[in-house]
Amino acid sequence: MKDLLNFFIEIGKLKRMPRRGWVIRNVKNPESIAEHTFRVTIMAWFLGKEKNNNFNIEKIIKMALIHDLCEVYAGDITPYDSILTKDKKKLQQLVKTWPRFSEKKRKKLVEQKYKKENSGLEKLIKNLPEKLKNETKMLWIDYENGSSKEGRFFKQIDRIESFLQAMEYWEKNKKFPKKPWWDQASELFDDPVLLDFIEKMDKKFHKKEKPKH
Amino acid sequence: MPMEEKRFYLTKQKLKELEQEHESLVVFERSKTIEEAPKVLESEDLNPEFLSFQEDMSLLRSRIMELENILNNHELIKNPSKQSQNMIGLGARVLVSIDGEKDEFLITGTLEANPSLGKISNESPVGKALMGHKVGEEVVISSPIKTVYKIKKIKYLLS
Repeated sequence: MKDLLNFFIEIGKLKRMPRRGWVIRNVKNPESIAEHTFRVTIMAWFLGKEKNNNFNIEKIIKMALIHDLCEVYAGDITPYDSILTKDKKKLQQLVKTWPRFSEKKRKKLVEQKYKKENSGLEKLIKNLPEKLKNETKMLWIDYENGSSKEGRFFKQIDRIESFLQAMEYWEKNKKFPKKPWWDQASELFDDPVLLDFIEKMDKKFHKKEKPKH
Repeated sequence: MPMEEKRFYLTKQKLKELEQEHESLVVFERSKTIEEAPKVLESEDLNPEFLSFQEDMSLLRSRIMELENILNNHELIKNPSKQSQNMIGLGARVLVSIDGEKDEFLITGTLEANPSLGKISNESPVGKALMGHKVGEEVVISSPIKTVYKIKKIKYLLS
């Protein structure tokens, strides 16, 4: 029980950790990592139900709940991290486009992130009961690698929740750069349920204003 | 409920990985059921160990079934004929210029897609739109903000 108590105290830190992607975009009072986890879990459950093809909903809900736990120690790593600058003007220019890297650099960044997050997770779960520890680790690996159909689906849901949040920030402040999110969406999502969801997002957020070309 | 019936496009390497995973899981499942199945009833109650064992086994079984579905419905990605290698298809490495910035994609099936590594699914809007295009052509994605992908180079490196 003492180990569980310590674990709960540690993961409670996620309630107070702002998501860095919003911080670098100058969002005021950005959501925390735990707030992202809350909505992404409901989305995984409800959108998973739309799939109607032997989806293990319990697995996908658990996967959603644990997918960012590693960030207690690893922090929230963003694709912009390796090119960030302290110059505020340049930074705001930088986040107007999706960062593009060479194949070699991309591979290096993915490996570095995996390594950091993996050791963060190991540190966090090391004193959990064996069965819970193994289940948490297996679910995280499945999500990271997109090994099972639930893992592949959830990886996309995770990005869609952030995308939805981005559009909500844009709705509040039209200076928020939305183009990289739409560019990313066209390259990233391939699940028919989620492509349909994005179409609905387009209609909802652009019903008053046609996006500028 | 029946499994989804769709074709899974795989590279030779991915097919090998999935076959190996399937084989080792089947062997593991067999050894578990023969050696380790706990008794169902402990006095008059269900043995909790059996419940947990069943839970593990059902997860294992569902992964085996998922792999079997993929292996039974897969199609190997092969290099297209010489005269079609100037067109984007599955397995193509494509150098593009996006709003003036260079990027390189590998067009894969949905199982191998990993956009963080530049592996774009042929079922994604960009993957789908690029298919069949040649060097020098432009592909416009307007969903909903217009982005132009100019095709600079196409290579096939499959073995």
